[in-house]
Amino acid sequence: MLVLDRASLRYGPILGLSPTSFELPEGGGITGLLGPNGAGKSSLLQLVSGLLPPSGGTVTVFGEAPFRNPSVLARIGLVPEGDRLPAGLCGDRWLGMMGELSGLSGAPLQAALARALDTVGMGDRARLPFVRMSKGMRQRMRLAQALLHEPRLLILDEPFNGLDPEARLGLMDLLRRLAAEGVRVLVSSHILSEIAQLTDRILLLFRGRLLAEGSVLEIRHLLDRHPVELRVAGEPRAVARWAVEQTELAALRLEEESVVLSVRSPRDILPRLQQAAAEGRLPVHALDPLDLNLEAVFQYLTKDHV
Amino acid sequence: MTITAPSPWRALRAVARGYAPRVFQGRGWAVAALVAAPVGLSLGIFALGRLRGLDAHPGEALRVFHEGLVKMMLPIMALVAAPAGIREDLEQRTLPLLLVRPAPVWAYPLGKGLPWFLWGAAWLVLGALGLQVIGGDPALLLGRIAALVAAWWGELALMTLVGLLFKRGTLWGALYFFLWEPLVRIFPPFLQRLTFTHHIESLAGSRAAEVGAHQILAQAQVTTPPLLSLLLLLSFGALCWGLAGWKLQRTPIGLAGHEAEG
Repeated sequence: MLVLDRASLRYGPILGLSPTSFELPEGGGITGLLGPNGAGKSSLLQLVSGLLPPSGGTVTVFGEAPFRNPSVLARIGLVPEGDRLPAGLCGDRWLGMMGELSGLSGAPLQAALARALDTVGMGDRARLPFVRMSKGMRQRMRLAQALLHEPRLLILDEPFNGLDPEARLGLMDLLRRLAAEGVRVLVSSHILSEIAQLTDRILLLFRGRLLAEGSVLEIRHLLDRHPVELRVAGEPRAVARWAVEQTELAALRLEEESVVLSVRSPRDILPRLQQAAAEGRLPVHALDPLDLNLEAVFQYLTKDHV
Repeated sequence: MTITAPSPWRALRAVARGYAPRVFQGRGWAVAALVAAPVGLSLGIFALGRLRGLDAHPGEALRVFHEGLVKMMLPIMALVAAPAGIREDLEQRTLPLLLVRPAPVWAYPLGKGLPWFLWGAAWLVLGALGLQVIGGDPALLLGRIAALVAAWWGELALMTLVGLLFKRGTLWGALYFFLWEPLVRIFPPFLQRLTFTHHIESLAGSRAAEVGAHQILAQAQVTTPPLLSLLLLLSFGALCWGLAGWKLQRTPIGLAGHEAEG
């Protein structure tokens, strides 16, 4: 569905995105584009959505270059960052225009309008002028325009900014539902918890470079040189004695009723630890990975680039 | 859902209809006032004169037409209306929402400009009719209307194009209208043809009989047949709309509203 082959983007002398390569497969699913502000997320989304052509390399969406390409754009929906909408217009009229510009007309257009407004919960408020809409309502209208033509690839740039908690959850539910219906959703955020709640598949960007791609665990496994912390609850001295004999141990810290092990290659050491516990050689009550979460992955990956 | 990209005609119609309400808001009424104010003022003065038993003076209608509408108000109308066209979406950063549609991007400038053209043209026609009341020559009415509408078409298109070419499009437009057009009289005569004023006068009838001593040209007047002037104004407008569309089609415009080096 989406292939970037050493695609890069320059803004004059500034490199917005270093040569980047990755693929997204056909079919539904959510991919999170994660990175701090200025990481290159919007640059990447602009390439994928056909707003900008790459300065180098190639971008292929549905088998074609997306820049000013109607056959590709007909299958893409974009929700840009922010809540900007044209001044002086009402929601329903503007949405109708966007539908017509997407190739819809007549009864299919009316049906698409009703469906999109219903999906975002704006069916009864779409006639309001944009100036009288709240930030959340404007965000919903922007989402509605992206859903009108039932795109196969939905791109959202920081869609949770400015939304209240209820609206966030609602949007997350909607994105999950769309993904389940076969829509490929590419969503960017600089908030790790948002992406972690939404998807396990992430693209991690930092300073214009794609640092990692895959699930949180897959990425974590790439980081053998970065130790993983495991809290092992049980008999601390016995666990410590066992741990110091393991080659993967990087450090340990004794706590009152547990030991925090800092280990490399957790995939190798964990089975041995579990086996020792199962055989009664190691008095272990519980095992708790402390940093196998997105936050830790992000910090590890970006630490070397700061 | 199978989607086919809309034709240029459908895209034009959709954008023009979608943005049409903008002309009924503040900026649209400002455009209307630029015509209504000088004509209305003249009508008011004329009405007062009639109350005192004075007759209409044909020269007054000529003066308001050439000095008020053509030289002053028409350019200001273009300077006011054009930034509300496609330039507005660029500055509001709402253009990406249009650019990611499968519609022909080159149709957007004209689509957004059409409601402004029609709105301004309607007021210009009303203005020309109003001038008849204060003594305008009926034989020149059609020429005046054609001149105003065709010049409005060309000037609005020019300002739309300039707004896409330059960040300070309004400034460059103002320099063209208020520096180049008056100054052209000191340059070789053929350059008169590069002014809106010349073609408007060709269509609406020369005001040579009415010019004062300070307005005498330093060069010989050149003549252009009225129909050719009409054709030139309409063609120039179409060319500017086309170039604006071409510029938008070719220029990568990102979410920040800035161009990127593609």
